Amino acid sequence: MTTILLGPQRFTVTVTSAVRSLDVDGPVAMINAGWEEREDDDAELVKKLDGRGRNLRLYNRLVDVMTKDAVFAKGALTFRDRQEELRKFYGVRLQAAVDAAHAVLHRSSPHGLKTAAFTGAVQGVREVDRWYADQLKELYREMDQQVSVRDSSVIGWHRGEVEAILRDSVAAVIAGGHVGFLLQSLRMFSLELPEELPVVAWSAGAMALTERVVLFHDFTPQQVTAAECHDHGLARLPGIIALPYARRRLRLDDPERLAVLARRFPSKQLVLLDDGTILRFPSGQTGAPAGARVVTQLGAVETVGDRVGTAAGEGR
Amino acid sequence: MSPRRLAINRLRDRVPLDVAAIDRFVTRYGSPIVEGERATFLWRGEADGVSVRHRVVGLPDPLPMKRLPETDLFAVTTVLPEGSRVEYQIEVRRGETYERFDDPLNPRLAHSPLGSSSVCAAVGYRVPDWVQPDPEARPGRLLEEVVRSKALRRDQPVQVYLPARFIEAIRYPLLIVHDGGDYLGYTAMKTVLDNLIHRLDVAPLVVAFVPPRDRLKEYPNYAPHARFIARELVPWLSGRLPLRDTPEARCLMGSSFGGIASLSTAVRYPDLFGSLLLESASLVFTDIGFEHGGGPHFDPVVKFVNRYRAKPTRPVDRIAMTCGVYEPLITPNRSMVPVFREAGMAVHYTEARDGHNWENWRDRLGELLSWLFPGPQKFVYE
Repeated sequence: MTTILLGPQRFTVTVTSAVRSLDVDGPVAMINAGWEEREDDDAELVKKLDGRGRNLRLYNRLVDVMTKDAVFAKGALTFRDRQEELRKFYGVRLQAAVDAAHAVLHRSSPHGLKTAAFTGAVQGVREVDRWYADQLKELYREMDQQVSVRDSSVIGWHRGEVEAILRDSVAAVIAGGHVGFLLQSLRMFSLELPEELPVVAWSAGAMALTERVVLFHDFTPQQVTAAECHDHGLARLPGIIALPYARRRLRLDDPERLAVLARRFPSKQLVLLDDGTILRFPSGQTGAPAGARVVTQLGAVETVGDRVGTAAGEGR
Repeated sequence: MSPRRLAINRLRDRVPLDVAAIDRFVTRYGSPIVEGERATFLWRGEADGVSVRHRVVGLPDPLPMKRLPETDLFAVTTVLPEGSRVEYQIEVRRGETYERFDDPLNPRLAHSPLGSSSVCAAVGYRVPDWVQPDPEARPGRLLEEVVRSKALRRDQPVQVYLPARFIEAIRYPLLIVHDGGDYLGYTAMKTVLDNLIHRLDVAPLVVAFVPPRDRLKEYPNYAPHARFIARELVPWLSGRLPLRDTPEARCLMGSSFGGIASLSTAVRYPDLFGSLLLESASLVFTDIGFEHGGGPHFDPVVKFVNRYRAKPTRPVDRIAMTCGVYEPLITPNRSMVPVFREAGMAVHYTEARDGHNWENWRDRLGELLSWLFPGPQKFVYE
């Protein structure tokens, strides 16, 4: 069934027309856990969904679980601390590796060795990404051994409610916000969006539908300025890396920087989701549709042509 | 096309230059008159001499004003590069009597423990918008606490800032601020923290604002002070608040002598703190002899900095540093950057066209705090 990715909704609202275009009649499940404690301030969103929105309230449920299930909360907090530590080490290693790739690009190469050196440097970055992914997987495995979402009656109760709302819904929307809390909420309630359920998502919501959630902000004063792999999303669009607010968050006029980013993920399409973007993925299509703006392996921004459903990385 | 002449020179050209014309001029322009990279200071009244007093290195101090012939208007024009911000006062001499006060023609004032000063802001200077209270920013809380200190042999008051949405389940980084009351009073640091955290520029953190009792004694490398911070305050806070228990999550901060207190405490207790935030730190040193020119209060400072320069250590991982280019401390601060870096620390150093004052230190907080405690910007895509 259809998946639609949208640009940010703050200034250019397209969610109303996108949901109407699905041509479905009935309640629409809303996921806005990325709004955190403002999750219940959803009246405007409900209105944009023609009054059909039904909030899953995943963030509120997450807080409820952390309050009522002490055993699970302890395990989850331990996991969070360990993941935070892992991210710090990942950041240190990643920034060094990315800096090395940029340094290679900036050197002259009178004897033509730069290409090989750059390829090796990018492989170094990928290796750091891979190491982080492996370590994170291990952390999840260890956490599952200690406290499992399946063992918590509180989580089970909430999951029952969430599944009931989803069963009655004809579509789902996933709003933007804090992608970390959004993913955490989805994971806590083992949320699965049935393939046949149409989904409209934007910003952090769009990121959550992909397989690899990549955090990025070229203009932030952070010590780690390189884009960071964060976690797994729902993998509904496994071939896509979603880059919301690309114009405001990426140095789109710096092809070298973009090339390093794109070459870290050679099997994925890096899709820019700026204001006004509407990308429709019919059932079964995983590649970016025509009209999508993507970052090529050479660091250019191109618009996908009419070859609907271009395979990720194909021809790039 | 030739550049427009300065307003004061256009006034000088007027004949006759009567009282009404000067009244209109002063009412229209006030003081100082900032035109491009020039600032003209004005004063009106009867006096034997009038000067602008300031502490800008590179400009004469006092900066004498000249009377416009046959008037009671005094004026002086000086260079003022773009982005500059200068604090000053007017000094008037009548006979042997000197009087110094804020510029009565300038409503813009800055405040410090020493009193108020007038402010001359050049073209390009802007007060950061995160200095003013933002109604959308949820406020943190300030708790008034008292810590019994054996090291200092007194009850030490501490104001503890808890960020908005503070919850026990989260572990926070800790920032300890020397001259804590002054930072709260003269840099609006609570408002600044509320805003920077709200904007996602800075991570939510716990901040301990610690005022000194006798800062000239306690701040320049004073063992009891360091012991209080490291062995009493940090454990006291850690026992009561959910703080991250790693050096990387602990930072010491201070300006001027408070910068020395921060550095010397970290040197005395290496590996307890992960970072320092130093604003116009009094990093005065001598390369030969001991004639530092800072007076007796600087003797322990110079001893400490000289000793550190002789054998630099790496007490923390990262230092965020700033200094005003118009203050005498700019040279020592610039000189210490490579020393810190060669000792193995990551240094984020920034300068401002400003002086040794609280508004300069306030204006730098956004950049320095977000470097030390980066906020969750990378996580939020709305």
